[in-house]
Amino acid sequence: MDFAEQSCKLPTLTSEEALPPRSPWCFCTGYLGTSRPPWRGKAQLLWGAGPSQSMAAGEFEGGKPLNGLLNALAQETFHGHPGITEELLRSQLYPEVLPEEFRPFLAKMRGILKSIASADMDFNQLEAYLTAQTKKQGGITSDQAAVISKFWKSHKTKIRESLMNQSRWNSGLRGLSWRVDGKSQSRHSAQIHMPVAIIELELGKYGQESEFLCLEFDEVKVNQILKTLSEVEESITTLISQPN
Amino acid sequence: MEATSEPLLDAKSEVTNQLVDFQWKLGMAVSSDTCRSLKYPYVAVMLKVADHSGQVKTKCFEMTIPQFQEKKITNGLTFIPQLY
Repeated sequence: MDFAEQSCKLPTLTSEEALPPRSPWCFCTGYLGTSRPPWRGKAQLLWGAGPSQSMAAGEFEGGKPLNGLLNALAQETFHGHPGITEELLRSQLYPEVLPEEFRPFLAKMRGILKSIASADMDFNQLEAYLTAQTKKQGGITSDQAAVISKFWKSHKTKIRESLMNQSRWNSGLRGLSWRVDGKSQSRHSAQIHMPVAIIELELGKYGQESEFLCLEFDEVKVNQILKTLSEVEESITTLISQPN
Repeated sequence: MEATSEPLLDAKSEVTNQLVDFQWKLGMAVSSDTCRSLKYPYVAVMLKVADHSGQVKTKCFEMTIPQFQEKKITNGLTFIPQLY
């Protein structure tokens, strides 16, 4: 008990973010229980050696675990696949980290990813933002910044697409198929070769099953639709050619 | 009981509808609570369709510009008049 108290009086964490949500004691007790030194940087801090570095930054590895974490966060936050629990992430990616320390770290990574996605950062903005994060108290290491940067660059398009889908509250057009039937005869008439266009639209709201809408068109209607579509096209061209 | 007047198109099955009206607008999504910088244009369409019984329903949907310009839609439809 004395030893535990004494350990906890060593150089303390500088950032509030790095503190576990409960009392500082769990930080010490968890550490004391292990028979081998825990993650990098933490041993230095506890025994008073080394520069006073923010705990959260020093203790979590970048590299593959962080990349895995970012993937899981993206699945949950943007692509609508929840169900990856915090405990599962911790035990799979950072097994040596205590739950109380993992939680703020996870929250920080989630916050950073959300900020980057929300602002749809280009690469210049990304570098500036991540550099700022490495400089602040309770921020990230440059290793972690590099992993985040690489992750955003390769996942930006997909994440953006998911965000666009999430913000569309109407149905979206998921698919379109068409077919032209040639009616040769019918009971009512002996008409030959009257083509009928059949178009099937696949519509669906975000996260919901598709609905299929089947439409029939004769020649007149098809031409009307085509005329309308070219009006839309013209409008788009005008919009895109205007400066923002 | 067959109607004596010839319908313009024999609907093949009950699930086929006729297009009664087609309205469109071009919109720009600027920002949302989940994404401050959305900035994407989209085409919103409202269709009025009539089923075999004459009942009219409204269907609304949206497309992004790349979707709208996808060859499938424009090429497919422009191909059809050639068959008439």
